Amino acid sequence: MELTELTKTLCGLPGPSGYETAVFQWAADYLRPLADEVETDALGNLRAIRRCGQPGSRLVVLDAHMDEIGFVVTGVKDGFLTFDMLGGVDPRMLPTREVRVLSDPPLFGVIDTMPPHLIEPEEEGKSIPADRLYIDVGLTQEAAEKAVPVGTAVVYASGCDELCAGQLCGKALDDRACAAIIIKVFETLEAKSLNVDLCCLLSTQEEVGRRGAAVGAYALQPDVALVVDVTHAKTPDGKEALTEGQKGAAIGVGPNLNRAVTRDLFRIAEERGIAHQTEPLPGDSGTNAAAIQIARQGVATGLVSLPLKYMHTPVETVWTADMEAIEALLTAYVEEMEL
Amino acid sequence: MTILDTMETLCCLEGVSGSEDEVRAYILERAMPFADELLTDPMGNLMIFKKGVTAPRQRVMLCAHMDEVGLMVTAVTEEGYLRFDACGGIDRRVLIGKRVFVGPMRTKGVVGSKAIHLTTPEQRKTLPRLADMYIDIGAADKASAEALVSVGDTVAFDDAVIRFGDGFIKAKAIDDRAGCAVMLELIESQLPCDCWFAFTVQEEVGCRGAAVAARRIQPETALILEATTAADIPGVEGPARVCALGQGVVIPFMDRGTIYDKTLCAALSRLAEENNTPWQTKTRIAGGTDASAVQRSGTGVQVAALSVPVRNIHSPACVAKIQECENQYRLARLFLQEMGREPA
Repeated sequence: MELTELTKTLCGLPGPSGYETAVFQWAADYLRPLADEVETDALGNLRAIRRCGQPGSRLVVLDAHMDEIGFVVTGVKDGFLTFDMLGGVDPRMLPTREVRVLSDPPLFGVIDTMPPHLIEPEEEGKSIPADRLYIDVGLTQEAAEKAVPVGTAVVYASGCDELCAGQLCGKALDDRACAAIIIKVFETLEAKSLNVDLCCLLSTQEEVGRRGAAVGAYALQPDVALVVDVTHAKTPDGKEALTEGQKGAAIGVGPNLNRAVTRDLFRIAEERGIAHQTEPLPGDSGTNAAAIQIARQGVATGLVSLPLKYMHTPVETVWTADMEAIEALLTAYVEEMEL
Repeated sequence: MTILDTMETLCCLEGVSGSEDEVRAYILERAMPFADELLTDPMGNLMIFKKGVTAPRQRVMLCAHMDEVGLMVTAVTEEGYLRFDACGGIDRRVLIGKRVFVGPMRTKGVVGSKAIHLTTPEQRKTLPRLADMYIDIGAADKASAEALVSVGDTVAFDDAVIRFGDGFIKAKAIDDRAGCAVMLELIESQLPCDCWFAFTVQEEVGCRGAAVAARRIQPETALILEATTAADIPGVEGPARVCALGQGVVIPFMDRGTIYDKTLCAALSRLAEENNTPWQTKTRIAGGTDASAVQRSGTGVQVAALSVPVRNIHSPACVAKIQECENQYRLARLFLQEMGREPA
């Protein structure tokens, strides 16, 4: 499948933190014919491994997280669902937001809000805390209690589509856009002979504290890990962001990342003319790299990030040119690895 | 088509106040074969007369507005983002992170807002001012944005219509395509009595179209078919809920624009009860309708309204109960029957 289509398909699947099964199943089906082994673990990570067949070969892990931010139903009040957050949701995004309640069968819902005619002057322009917001599924108390058990997860209802030529916009591009990239890299490399074993790690529960990647890296014991995640791109109200769209792969630099791996990433990007930019990360990178770097006895970890606008909203936006740059960089990196 | 199909089709059309052309064109095309007289005016109102079984003693007008709330592009920035202002009453809390369509080319856009990670706890307590919000159409710079959109273009909300729950519907612009759908269905049916239908413009910016249309038609009795504010959500108790979905079509006695004609209101509630059609009134004086302009046109007009209760009114995700849209049609028809009982 072509990269853009793959991304749209993955973003359309519901998979908030801890509830990634739909994404897992789809990706496992896609990767199975390309891999020697497809495994999972207690946290639901997906590990697709391709062996190069050479004795003593090193293992390179490409990591992207499958989960997206979302919500979890905590109760039913007058037929409306109360909820809490799965990951860092901005409550200001929520009034009149359309959602998909992942019950069986799934239900459409709207987060209702007070009509504008009734807002008191002192309330005007103030954000509404999430504990005063409710999901309207159009059911009575009794019917809602029956249809939606407490603990049911909820995601934004939107999928992902082109905003204009060359840009994708939707929910869950954090981090399915990068999941699509590493799946694509894995697929491309199937036709090539490699000197290393390669694993595509689609990890769970990143948005609630990188829980899946910590366990996944422990099990895999990688020699090198390349984490692929999104990062903030500049917007009119967010000029403090460190990367810009359409400037290529953002290569992370900092203590969270192995200097040799980082140096190789820059060298390959320059040698091959792959668009790239530097993302300085003086502390914790805020990505799975932080968990993977300290797995077992420590892992040489690199970070390549995709610039994205409006992170954790239903209208996250990325540039396909940046995705292609990352795809090219990762492919070249793995190809160049020696025994 | 059923009343619901008609409403869904109408909700998907774009008609932000002052740019109602698409809605008018659709209504005109469907109504033309059934109309006995058809008028438009410089404002863009569409007025249709249709003969019924009888000629009532009074000149009767039904009225619904074609326009919807939306936004208008006020500037294009050097970086290719669009600044905007509201067209009609919109709570800015429903805007950020929403998908929109800009201008006649329906250019896709989103109302951007920086990521939560980049905001301070203090910033998260309030919404950006409208003047600080922006639409992202993915343009690389000002010139490429201006190739797609212009200052003055209207901006409509995402138009997906979804039926959900126990007979509910979500769409933009249910206010007031619900009323437009009722009128269109009536025009396509055999009417109990002669009737004028005014599809008005610019209700959301001050009932400007209705004032002109009423002066043209000069009705003696007018029934406004509308959608109205429901606040029947948890945390809102008693009369502050205004009205509730599932409790029936709203027959308001008063809102911020109009004190409705008591005789007509009584007749409507009696018709509802005689025909086992649930009705309610509003328990809070809020909002307004075209009745304010129609009532005070010419030498004065007797007015009443039938409104569908709508949650999240003036937002991209209005929620209504399907049965109430159907009952709005039913009651409007009963009203015309009643008017026809007193022939000229």
